[in-house]
Amino acid sequence: MEIGSVRIITSAMIAFLPTFAEPQRFFTWERGLFLVLALLSMLCFWWRFGPILAKILHSKRDPGFHFFPIGKRVRDFVWEVLLQAKVIRERPLAGIAHALVFWAFCAFALVTLNHCATLFGLGFLDPAGRVGRFYFYFAALFAAACAIGIVGLFIRRFLAKPKWLGAVSWESGLIALLIFVLMVTYLAASLVPGAGTAGQVLWWAHTLTLLAFLPVIPHTKHLHLVLSPFTVFLSRGGFAEIPPLADDEDFGLVAGKDLTQLVSLQAYSCVECGRCMEHCPANHTGKVLNPKEIVLGLRGYLNDCGPGSEEPLLGKYNSQQAVFECTTCGACEFQCPVGIEHVPMIVGLRRGAVNTGTWEDDHGAKLFLALERGSNALGISSTERDEFVEKSEFPLFDGTQEYCLWLGCMGSYDPRGRDIVLALVKVLRHLKVTFGVLHKERCTGDPVRRLGNDLLFQQLAESGLEALAQNKVKKIVSICPHCVRTIQEDWKAYGVPPEVEHHSEFLARYARQLPPVQDQKKIVFHDPCYLGRYRNVYDEPRKVAALAGELVEAPRSHERSFCCGAGGGLAFLGEEKGERVSHVRAAELAETGASVVGTACPFCNTMFRDAFAEKGESAPELMDIAQIAARGLPGSVRG
Amino acid sequence: MKIVVAIKQVPERDALVRIAANGKEIEERELQWAMNEPDAYALEEALLLKEKSGAVEVIVVSAGPERVGSTIREALAKGADRAIHVVCNHLTGCDALGVARMIAAAIKPENPDLVLTGLQSEDVGMGQTGVILAELLGLPHATMILQVEVIGAGLKVKRELEEGWFQQIELPSPAVLTMQSGGNKLRYATLMGIKRAKSKELRTVNAADAGAEGSSAIVLEQIALPKKQRHTQMLQGSAKEAAAVLVEKLKTEACVL
Amino acid sequence: MSVLLVLEQSGGKIKKASWEALAAAHRLAPSENITAVVIGGETEALAADAAAHSVSKVIRMEHPLLAQYTSDGFCSALQQLIQDQHPTHIVFPHTYQVRDFAPALACRMGQVLIGDVVEIEEGPRFVRQLMQGRLNGSYRHSGDGPCFVSVQAGAFRAEAREEPQRAQATIERFSPSIDAAQIRTQPGEPFRGSEQTVDLGSAQRIVGVGRGIKAVENLPMVQELATVLGAELAASRPICDNGWLPLERQVGSSGQTVAPKMYLAVGISGAIQHLVGMKGSQCIVAINKDSDAPIFEVADYGIVGDLFEVVPALTEAVKAAKE
Repeated sequence: MEIGSVRIITSAMIAFLPTFAEPQRFFTWERGLFLVLALLSMLCFWWRFGPILAKILHSKRDPGFHFFPIGKRVRDFVWEVLLQAKVIRERPLAGIAHALVFWAFCAFALVTLNHCATLFGLGFLDPAGRVGRFYFYFAALFAAACAIGIVGLFIRRFLAKPKWLGAVSWESGLIALLIFVLMVTYLAASLVPGAGTAGQVLWWAHTLTLLAFLPVIPHTKHLHLVLSPFTVFLSRGGFAEIPPLADDEDFGLVAGKDLTQLVSLQAYSCVECGRCMEHCPANHTGKVLNPKEIVLGLRGYLNDCGPGSEEPLLGKYNSQQAVFECTTCGACEFQCPVGIEHVPMIVGLRRGAVNTGTWEDDHGAKLFLALERGSNALGISSTERDEFVEKSEFPLFDGTQEYCLWLGCMGSYDPRGRDIVLALVKVLRHLKVTFGVLHKERCTGDPVRRLGNDLLFQQLAESGLEALAQNKVKKIVSICPHCVRTIQEDWKAYGVPPEVEHHSEFLARYARQLPPVQDQKKIVFHDPCYLGRYRNVYDEPRKVAALAGELVEAPRSHERSFCCGAGGGLAFLGEEKGERVSHVRAAELAETGASVVGTACPFCNTMFRDAFAEKGESAPELMDIAQIAARGLPGSVRG
Repeated sequence: MKIVVAIKQVPERDALVRIAANGKEIEERELQWAMNEPDAYALEEALLLKEKSGAVEVIVVSAGPERVGSTIREALAKGADRAIHVVCNHLTGCDALGVARMIAAAIKPENPDLVLTGLQSEDVGMGQTGVILAELLGLPHATMILQVEVIGAGLKVKRELEEGWFQQIELPSPAVLTMQSGGNKLRYATLMGIKRAKSKELRTVNAADAGAEGSSAIVLEQIALPKKQRHTQMLQGSAKEAAAVLVEKLKTEACVL
Repeated sequence: MSVLLVLEQSGGKIKKASWEALAAAHRLAPSENITAVVIGGETEALAADAAAHSVSKVIRMEHPLLAQYTSDGFCSALQQLIQDQHPTHIVFPHTYQVRDFAPALACRMGQVLIGDVVEIEEGPRFVRQLMQGRLNGSYRHSGDGPCFVSVQAGAFRAEAREEPQRAQATIERFSPSIDAAQIRTQPGEPFRGSEQTVDLGSAQRIVGVGRGIKAVENLPMVQELATVLGAELAASRPICDNGWLPLERQVGSSGQTVAPKMYLAVGISGAIQHLVGMKGSQCIVAINKDSDAPIFEVADYGIVGDLFEVVPALTEAVKAAKE
């Protein structure tokens, strides 16, 4: 069928439907009343919104913020705002209900404009005309869907009451009611005669609801209606990207004066949906940390003290303990539908505490001192790495080899990490890929970067970059997603790092040349946060893991993977409060019934090893994908 | 109260040490340097005293070539108020007495109420500078101190003895104390500390100008690698045999029983 | 060459380290040229003990102000003795007490102590460790005056008492003049670190127990070994997680970092979290049934075997060695 004929048929169908009522004439006093009420409504809106906007604009400028390239911003905006993809994907039912409300609002923009314009005889959509008629019915579909959606959301909030929504607020009920009335008064107009009192009453009912709605927005979390499109569009760009410090007086988020425009904008954008909290490993295991409360704490600070204040951010408004319980797994940031970047916020608060020395923690200080005085986060003498390199007959990188094999602290000193490295080396040798290791290697600075120690991180990044440049390294492969991330992204603040690859990416390319493991088993792969959410690598490690047998998925996998508990420097911070994150995750992996747990990060590996230790003989076997790749090869390798 | 802390810069704990061509020194090229750890504890104790009473000025003194500046700045960053750098390019050629003379000459004009230093250095490990310093300055001293308390015009200190014993010692101020590691908890260096340190006074004095004469009562003639390298001895035999061999080795070889 | 050997006592007995210093002195001079000095308020018994060793003369340096050790008292007294005896070498055991006064004494005489000597070579050249044992340095005494040397504990095999057929060394008295005003420090009575709380950090010996122990009922067996060794009991994380031992006994990244003289790891495989907490120990012994266990990589001595056999055998062997 031709497009033209479709159009004719639809318009013919619409022609049979009743016309939306629209008052034909308004009295002058009506116009006057509308103008007064509209002005009042806008004043009420501004009375609250003006100061908020001022607080955002008076915050410090974001150092290192680049508006261009704009392509990614537009893409994110279309995907996350217009298509509501994030909202729907993570909570399909509630998400669709929300999307319906959102799309209805968009469709209604034109209707509302026309609605007000008719008052002055300037209506541009003729309810009786073809275009107008079509559009009114188009909007009516959304209005109906929206009305259903808002009822659904109302039921969820007031009857189902999921815990992450927090305490029930009357404002939410009011907003739901206003939206519902808006939709109903619109739809009802199709049921009353065009001219007459009923039409007039509906017009006013709709208008008054609209004017009442406007001032409510900035007073409630519905501020996100106005702000979140900007928040999404203006995000920093990278996932969990830690911004540079502005100048010699910038030590991170210490007080209000350090809050940047993006932080303030994000703090006011929070819609309190609690997705961050729902996915937070710390919050799940009985810690104080709740990412939502961090954001709301900053909002509370901005409301009370304002952006220029010297009052510390940690203390009354946010808890230092909570801030240092974060594993920087990024689940919160990944989930957030309004573009809040929790990781830079939390790391920013840590920077404020660590860079000024106000954070006092025995384990933390031990870690920092180990790296101030030595080469690795574990505080082990580097001669032990030398011995391992020598004993394993690793060639030193001399510029002629293709890859520089970066061992990392775990690969250099942890017996399990060493086994992973040895397995990878076995594969490299089998594939005849040339590689070499550095004579001396220092920690990339990952744990201190996430803990907010900028002084130490800068020293480590600079010495690392220098070592790589001196050795003319062009390409790095590493078994540690934390090293990969830190070298590739975080070191950029101090120079140009070479190309870095995680071993899963490397091995996936050669997966076909590797023999499958003989004794095939059921295997579950655990996505490391720093490989998955941070690097967007999900399929490659699975390709390698599949060599071990049938791949099954944990309930939480891929982007929703649950942290092992080691990230953000927490592997070095001693005993955690409440339940151990690693135990929760290990149990979840074991419950899949898989007999092998595949990992791709030496930290995850060591965390699960500890967690499984308690299970004894019944625990699944723990294998890094490098060990899986090596297992089918001739010759023995430990692990 | 004026506290002087004498600190030394030593090769980083992990540093790859090589013997220089002359066989008498450590090759300094490519070495990374750090503050001697016991000295870091001494500095920490001074900073704790400062935090406790407030009216304390902490002055760090270090002798050595230009590179020592970085360790001095680290001390300032951690909270010392000012610093004196005794510039000396032949530190390795001096014995403990020579080094102590240089430092004593720099300290004397300050008339400190207390001089703290680490029990020993991690490189040469003589463990004498503090004691000799006291002798040269004519002050009483105590060594292996874990805690310092200011009591009236004097000091009450906790001294470590062997085999898990301790002792309180009282001594008049001014005095020299050498600090044992582990008596307090070291603080980490912070970005703010480093930035603030830039504006603190760092005075350099020339070792020769300070009026210190060198000493070479003892001479380091040669440096060599130790013959013994650590390796695991696996003890064979039945449980009883292995246990007997182990006890014998622990007694005579390792000397830990 | 003549040697003055400074013997150190503790609780009325001459310390073993002093006899090791005597062994070192014998590298420098024959017994005829070695004079030993015992210091204190009352030294009769000490002198008798010393005289039974291979030295030519024992000096009893007595003074009420020497009854309790002070650096000022010892320096003053020994300086007078050295000026009286003119030895070429003065040899000490490298104890905490010697480290407290010998550098000052040497300094008073324009000398520098060659401390912590592990070996004496031809010359004589004195070998001491540098860079925390990674290098050895040979030192020579230059110029005039006496040479001061202190000897590391355990570096020389202690000399036993002489057989009675040899003539006993002569015993002399030396009374230094010490003025009470010279002594500026007031030492208090020695005391033990707090008994109640576990202080793994200052323990000399530690027995660490890991998952290999299998059940809490087996702990007393390891505890017995610890007791005969005079060691504290510690554990890896899983043991404390199970509540078999209190958390304060946990060694490792989330527990305590320890560096005792001896760490005996029983049934500990050696996860990195545990290794970082104990790798600084002077001597590490590992007992494990798995010969591939990473703990063996850091151990000085290893026994591959069933700990339920090895631990009781070891307990017996230690008991036997003590008798």
